[in-house]
This record gives sequence, C-alpha cells and structure tokens, in this order.
Amino acid sequence: AGVLAAHKITASSPDTDLPTVSGLRKMGVNFTVSNKDTVKSSDVLFLAVKPPIIPFILEEVGPDIEARHIVVSCAAGVTISSIEKKLSTFCPTPKVIRCMTNTPVIVREGATVYATGTHADVEDGKLLEQLMASVGFCTEVEEDLIDAVTGLSGSGPAYAFTALDALADGGVKMGLPRRLAVRLGAQALLGAAKMLLESEQHPGQLKDNVCSPGGATIHALHFLESGGFRSLLINAVEASCIRTRELQHVADQEKISPAAIKKTLLDKVKLESPSLSVASASKVSLFTSKSKKN
Amino acid sequence: QELGCRTTHCNLEVVYRSTLVFLATKPHILPAVLEEIRPAVGSHHIVVSLVAGVTIQTLQRLLPPWTKVLRIMPNLPCVVQAGAMVFSRGSKAGDEEAELLKSLLSSCGLCEEVPESYIDIHTGLSGSGVAYVYLFAEALAEGAVKMGMPGALASRIAAQTLLGAAKMLLETGEHPAKLRGDVCTPGGTTIYALHQLEKGALRATVMNAVEAATNRACEMAKD
Repeated sequence: AGVLAAHKITASSPDTDLPTVSGLRKMGVNFTVSNKDTVKSSDVLFLAVKPPIIPFILEEVGPDIEARHIVVSCAAGVTISSIEKKLSTFCPTPKVIRCMTNTPVIVREGATVYATGTHADVEDGKLLEQLMASVGFCTEVEEDLIDAVTGLSGSGPAYAFTALDALADGGVKMGLPRRLAVRLGAQALLGAAKMLLESEQHPGQLKDNVCSPGGATIHALHFLESGGFRSLLINAVEASCIRTRELQHVADQEKISPAAIKKTLLDKVKLESPSLSVASASKVSLFTSKSKKN
Repeated sequence: QELGCRTTHCNLEVVYRSTLVFLATKPHILPAVLEEIRPAVGSHHIVVSLVAGVTIQTLQRLLPPWTKVLRIMPNLPCVVQAGAMVFSRGSKAGDEEAELLKSLLSSCGLCEEVPESYIDIHTGLSGSGVAYVYLFAEALAEGAVKMGMPGALASRIAAQTLLGAAKMLLETGEHPAKLRGDVCTPGGTTIYALHQLEKGALRATVMNAVEAATNRACEMAKD
C-alpha cells in the first residue's frame, strides 16, 4: 500500500505450495522457508498462523528474538500475556502487540485494532498503526475489547458476503441476471457504508430517509423486522465473540497436539531446530527442561 | 354542567345557538342526527365531525351544500391535554376555519391538519396506539413485579418512564434510535434487554398492530 517497499518485507513459510507464496513472490517480497532467517533479518514480525500454532512458532523463533523486535500477533484469542510469558524464557523484555484485522485489508478497506503489550512503547504502537492505516482503518483499543472486535469486524465481512449472496438471490428471483444482481447488491452496501461513515447522522435516521411513506422500502423493512433481522445480527456478533474467547483457552494451553501440525511441515522445521521434539503418539509439552535455547 | 356549560336534549337548539358545532355521536346514529339538524345549518356554521369512519364526502352529502365541514380524529389523552389530533377540511372549509379549529384544540395537545387519507393511519398509530402503550406499561410493571417490586410502585414507575421518554423525544427532537443508543452503555443492562426485545421481533409486531388497526378503520369506514 505504498508505506513500505516490497524488498524490505520478508515472508516465510515451511510449506511452499501455498498459493499465497507465489503471490508474495510476485510482489517482490523476499521469501524464505526458514522462520529463523526471517526473524534475524526483520524488526517487525507478524505472526500470521492459526492460534494453536502460535506456541509452536514462539518456541521455534524464541531464541532469536532480541530487544529490538516487535512481535505482532494477529491470532484470534491469543492473549498478549500468553505470548509474553512464552517469549520471556528467551528475552527478558519482549515487545508484543496484539492486533485483530480483517480480510478487506486486501482492498485497503480493512478494519484493524491493536493493543500494546507490557514492553511495547507508544512509538511501537504508532509504527504498527501507520502500517495498518495504509490498508484501512486502524486504531488502538484495550486488549479486553479485541474479542468483541473479532465478532464485529473480524467476522463482519462474512456476514456481509452472506447478505450479498442473498440479496443477489432476491434480485435474480425478481428477474435480474446474476452478475448484475451481485454487482448492484455490492454497490448498494458499499454506498450505504460510505454514506454512514461520511455522515453525522444515526443509521436509524439514514434508514428513515430512504423510507417514503407507504413505499417499497418500508414494506421490505417490515419483512426484515418480522424475521428478526436485527436480533440475528446481534446473535452473530455475540456468538463470534464468545467463540473467540473459547479459542483463547485453547491457545493458552502450553501443550501442542501434534495433530495441529502437518507431519511433513514438522520434519522440515525439525531440521532447523533440533532442540524441538514432538512425540507422535501422545500430547507432549514443548516446554520441558530439555528444550531450552541453544 | 359542572363546567358551567349549558345543556339541552335538543340538537336543533345546539345548532341555533352555536357557530362551531361538534358532532360526537356513534357512527350508526350520525345519519339520523344530520337529517335532524340539516334545516338549521347555515353558511355561517362550522361543522366538525369526530365520528369515526364517516368520511367528509358522506358528511357533505348529508348536509346542505354550503356547509363548512371538517373532520377530526382525536385520541383519549385529550382529556389530560396531552392528546394527538389530526383533522381535514371539506370543500367549503377555508384557511380561517382550519386556523380556528387548530388554535382551539391545540390547548388539548398536538393538533395538525392532514390529508383525509391520513386519518385512518392516525387511528392505527395514535387512536388505538394509546392502548398499545397501556399494554407495554402493564408488561413493564409485571416484569418488575417478577423481579420483586410491589405492583403499585412498579406501575407508577412504568408510567413515569414512558412519560419521561416521550418528553425527551418531543423536546430534543432527536431520532429515537439515537436516544436509544445514548442509553446503551457497552455491555450494559440496556443492550442486554434490547436484545431480548429484538429476539421477540417487537418492532415487527408493533408495525403489524398499526397496520391491522389502520386496515380495520378503512374497512369500517366502508360499512
């Protein structure tokens, strides 16, 4: 998004078959299969793995984390304190920032929030904010609001896609060709969102402005209300938020199930970090006295 | 009589002694009354009908052609000077008559001139609407009783809550959605309660009620 030159970015993944890998390479981003190399050559580290994998990654790269590094985790439900706790066995004052973003960063209309950890300074937060503001809206929040943000804007695009699919169905039912219906539905939501963001008015007022007495729109809204449209959306945000909190408990666990990681991946990583070991038959803690930093 | 008004059993006497005549009978009685007073109605008279479901067209048909006719739909709280009234004019009623009616009745509450087609809607919204509010007040109080508050106190508080909320709406001129948002602190009691109301599709149910009453008013007018 123009904030950082591509050659200053390094991406790493032990699995090179992923479609994102070739995409990143095309952009001119440095690519490596070694997480350790990435850490050595970077200042800001974005951990973009699934929550159960976070402890694994932290154990792997922990030895190479230095005071200068800013570790940014986007993993849903993974707390700052759990990351700090794991990294503190390697580095006394790890800088950790937790963030929650959403998929429309791809089109620079993301919604991102972040919370800074114990040792992350205001400047570190501002750096992240500057980076993420280039791909949409970004603001700092208290960490305990992040789960709610996940429920609202993290999952939000999925609610919108579902709504758009259904709106398009409505259009098709009433005679529109599918492509046109999708295009118009998306534009309607885009336009409405833009109006709301640019207006001082309450969404209820904006809604009223569209509803002429006895007209088409108010008839349609009555259907939405009858179907409990509003409560469905409230339920959805609540469910996503609650589930995020449940995942937090999973991520807080210090035990990693080997089932969470592909065997082939594991083998590749073990070559780099012989200190790591995972038993195949049962759950094993990676934080035994044997696996300390070299 | 207690208020110092003259009373009589004779409709014609009322018409002779008055300029502004209010018709406040039940719908099925009205035709007979109009028949009765018709001879006494002059061009100076202003006839205002409060009779539900009787259109201006009907009134004008049953009265002399020079009659200034207006039709009004009040609601119950007029008796405590907090009513909501709408009125429409017939073909011979002019700005003067409309102004007169409005200035007289504004002392009883809100009084607005509207196209006649709005009158049935007003019935559904505010005529019957008063009953919806009583129902809501009752339910609020019952909720409080369930949670341990004595009934009489709960009822008074419920009524005061509705009064206060309505007053804020009228005086601030803000959109109700905005006022609602203002009461909802994040994760607080109000938003939890509102979620219950939304789950019960309260909004749709209320819209259904207004629609049903309006449609019934239209139906009855045709009879």
